[in-house]
Amino acid sequence: MSRVLVAMSGGVDSSVAAALLVDAGHEVVGVTMKTFCYSGVEDHGKTCCGLDGIADARRVAVALGMPHYVFDVEEDFTRDVIDDFVSEYARGRTPNPCVRCNSNTKFRDLLARGRELGCDRIATGHYVRMRHGPDRSDLLRGRDARKDQSYFLWGLPPSLLPRLLFPVGDLTKDEVRAQARALELVTAEKPESQEICFVPSGDYRDLLQKRLGPVHPALEPGPLVDSDGREVGRHDGYAGFTVGQRKGLGGGFDAPMYVLAIHADTRTVVVGSRDELYAERVEVGEVNWLSEDVPGPGREVLVQLRYRAPAVPAVVRSDGEDGTLALQLRQEVAAVTPGQSAVVFDGERVLGGGRIVRAGRTAGV
Amino acid sequence: MKPIYLDYAATTPVRAEVRDAMAPYLDQCFGNPSSTHRWGREAAAALADARHEIADVLGARFSEICFTRGGTESDNLAVCGRAAWHMARGESPSVAVSAVEHKAVLDAARQACADGRGCCTVVGVSPDGTVDVDAIDAALAQAPTVVSMMWVNNETGMILPVPEVTDRVKAAGGTMHTDAVQAVGKVPVRVDETPVDLLTVTGHKIYGPKGTGALFMRRGVEVAPLLHGGGQERTLRPGTEDVAGAVGLATALRLAVEERDEQAAHQGALRTLLETLLHDAIPDLRIHGGDARRAHHVVSVGVSGVDGRSLLMSLDLEGVAASGGSACQSGSTKGSHVVAALYGADDAYATLRFSFSRHSTEDDVRRAAEVTGRVVARLREGAPV
Repeated sequence: MSRVLVAMSGGVDSSVAAALLVDAGHEVVGVTMKTFCYSGVEDHGKTCCGLDGIADARRVAVALGMPHYVFDVEEDFTRDVIDDFVSEYARGRTPNPCVRCNSNTKFRDLLARGRELGCDRIATGHYVRMRHGPDRSDLLRGRDARKDQSYFLWGLPPSLLPRLLFPVGDLTKDEVRAQARALELVTAEKPESQEICFVPSGDYRDLLQKRLGPVHPALEPGPLVDSDGREVGRHDGYAGFTVGQRKGLGGGFDAPMYVLAIHADTRTVVVGSRDELYAERVEVGEVNWLSEDVPGPGREVLVQLRYRAPAVPAVVRSDGEDGTLALQLRQEVAAVTPGQSAVVFDGERVLGGGRIVRAGRTAGV
Repeated sequence: MKPIYLDYAATTPVRAEVRDAMAPYLDQCFGNPSSTHRWGREAAAALADARHEIADVLGARFSEICFTRGGTESDNLAVCGRAAWHMARGESPSVAVSAVEHKAVLDAARQACADGRGCCTVVGVSPDGTVDVDAIDAALAQAPTVVSMMWVNNETGMILPVPEVTDRVKAAGGTMHTDAVQAVGKVPVRVDETPVDLLTVTGHKIYGPKGTGALFMRRGVEVAPLLHGGGQERTLRPGTEDVAGAVGLATALRLAVEERDEQAAHQGALRTLLETLLHDAIPDLRIHGGDARRAHHVVSVGVSGVDGRSLLMSLDLEGVAASGGSACQSGSTKGSHVVAALYGADDAYATLRFSFSRHSTEDDVRRAAEVTGRVVARLREGAPV
C-alpha cells in the first residue's frame, strides 16, 4: 500500500493540491509542519505562529475526508533554517530561508517521517512541475510564469525527485482559486502569504536582535563608503541592508545611491550609483545538481538570480569539484546579491543551483 | 474496518440520559437563574437540583459545590485560589503537588508561586504508586501548605494514596486538594469518608458535556476567586450559570457512580484482556504502573525503539484511536511527563494509552491489540509498509 504525504500549509495552493490528489484516487495523508515559536518563551506551544495555518489545513483535510497530522519540526527547522538565516545576515549576506526549508525540512525531513506512516511520495502546493520518466525525473518550471516557484527548489536531494508530486504545477493561480471555490474549500479566498513565516512582523531585524543578542557587530553602526573606500556617511547596522537597496542610506548624495556590497569584517556598507550595481560574473557556492546532467565549462545555460527575476543566458566558466560554480552572464544584471540563490536552467528544466558568493564586472570576482 | 475509539480518558460522548436531561434548559427553560421572574426561578431551581445531586453523590453539602466550566478551571481555582487566599493574608504558602499531576495542577502550582511569595514542591511518585511522603512532610513543615494530589492518574490509571495523604495533610493543618476528574465513577470518591478540602470533577470524562465542572470546597475552606464579576457561585465563580451544563454534569455524575461497580467489572476484564494480548504481541512491552493499584479504564504501555508520534499516527491510519501520554499533549515532541516522572525520560520510547468506556467491547480490544502488534513490528523493522 502506498500513500502520498501532502504538505499542507493551510493556504489555498496546498489545499487544492491535496484535493486533486484525493480526487485522483490516491490515499493521502496531510501534514502541516509546526516550525517555530516566535514568542521566544521557553514554554512552547502557546503563541506559535502558524497555528491558524494548522487549523485551516485541518479544516480542509476534514472536509476532504483525509487524515491530517501536525509534525513538530521546530528543532530541525530552527537549526537548518532560522539559524542559517541569522548567520547569513551576520555575514552580510541576504538569505533565502524558503530555499533552506525546501532543501532540508519540507521534503527530506517530512518524507523521512512520512515513511513511518507508509508514505513513499510527497506532494506540495508549489507551482512547479515534475516530468517522471523511466530513468529520470525532471523538475520543470510551473505553467503559470507569474507564480513559478522553481527558484526555491534547486536544493532538493536528487534522490527525492522520483518521489515528488506537484499537483498544481500545471495550473495557474486563477485556476487554483477556481478549483478551491468549486470545492468550497475554506481556504479558497485566503490571501497570499508574503512574509517569511518566522518573521510575522515583517521586520527581520527584531529576530536578529533576539538571536544575535543586543550587542552584535551586524547591528552596530558602521561606515558607508563609496567604491573608492571614502566614507560618505554612517549606517545603523549592516544587517539591515541588502545589495541594490536604496532606502536607509540617508540623504545628501548628488545622485541616487544604492548598496553595492556589505563587508561584515569591517562592518562596512559600500554604496554607489546604479551603474555600479551591474555584474556579469557570478560565483556560486554550496552547489547542488538535481541530476547527472552537470553543466561543464563552456555550456550555455540560463540562470535566475532572484525570485521573480527573468532568467538570463550565461556560460559556465568552471564547475569546481568543491561545490562551486563560476558563471559568465551574457548580459549584465543589476544587484546580484550574495546569499541569494543562483538557479541554473536548461530551458524549463532546473539543473541545479547554489548560493551566490560574489558577483562583479571583472575577472577579479 | 470500522474505526475503534479507545481514548475515552481523553473524552467521552454525551450519553442519551444526559442529553435528555439537559435539553429543556437549552430552550424552554432558558432563564437566567439570577432573575426575579418565573423564568429565572425555574432556572434557579434546576441549578439547585443539580447542586444537590452532585453534593449527594460526593457526600458533600449543598453549599460546598461550586460550579465551574471544567476540570482545568476547578484545579486552578483550588490551587491558585487557595494560595492567593493565603497571600492576601500576608502569608507565604508552600504548594506541594505530585509529579504525575495533570498540567492544569502543575502549571497552576507554578503560577501560584510565580511571584516568589510562595514556594512550589514537586513530590515524586514511584511506579508502584507510592508517593514521597518525606517531601510532603517537608512541605508541610513550611505552613501554610496547599497539597494537590490527583486521585486517579489520567495517563496510567494509577490510584494515588489520597486518603492517606489527606490524613497527613489535615493532621499538619494544611489544605488538601485532589483532582478527581478520572476517579469519579471509577473508584469510590466521597468527601464524607475522605476529608479532602477541595476536589475537582468534570463532566466530559463521564458522558457529560465538555466545559462543565465543579469544585467541592469544604465549609470553612476559603479561596480567592480567579474571575471577578457578578455574585454567582458565592462570588467564587462569577458569570451567568450554565444551567443545562450543570444539569448535564449532575446527571452524568450520578449515573457514573451508580454504574461504577458494573463498569469496573466490564472494563476491568477488557483491561486484563488488552494487557495480555499486547504482551503476547510485544513481549518486551512495559505496562506503566503495572505494580500499582489502578483504575479499570486505562491501559498505558511503553514500547521501546519506536517513535511515539509515528506509532499514534500509524494506529490512526489503521483505524485505532489511542493517545500518547494525555490527549492534551499530543503532537508535542516531548514525551509524557508522567511516564518520565515514573521511569525517567527516554527519547526512543513510545507511550501508548488505551482507555475504555461502557461502550467498549472485547472485539474492539482484540482488533486494537492486533493492529498495535502489527504496527509496532513494522516500525521496529524501519521499513515502509
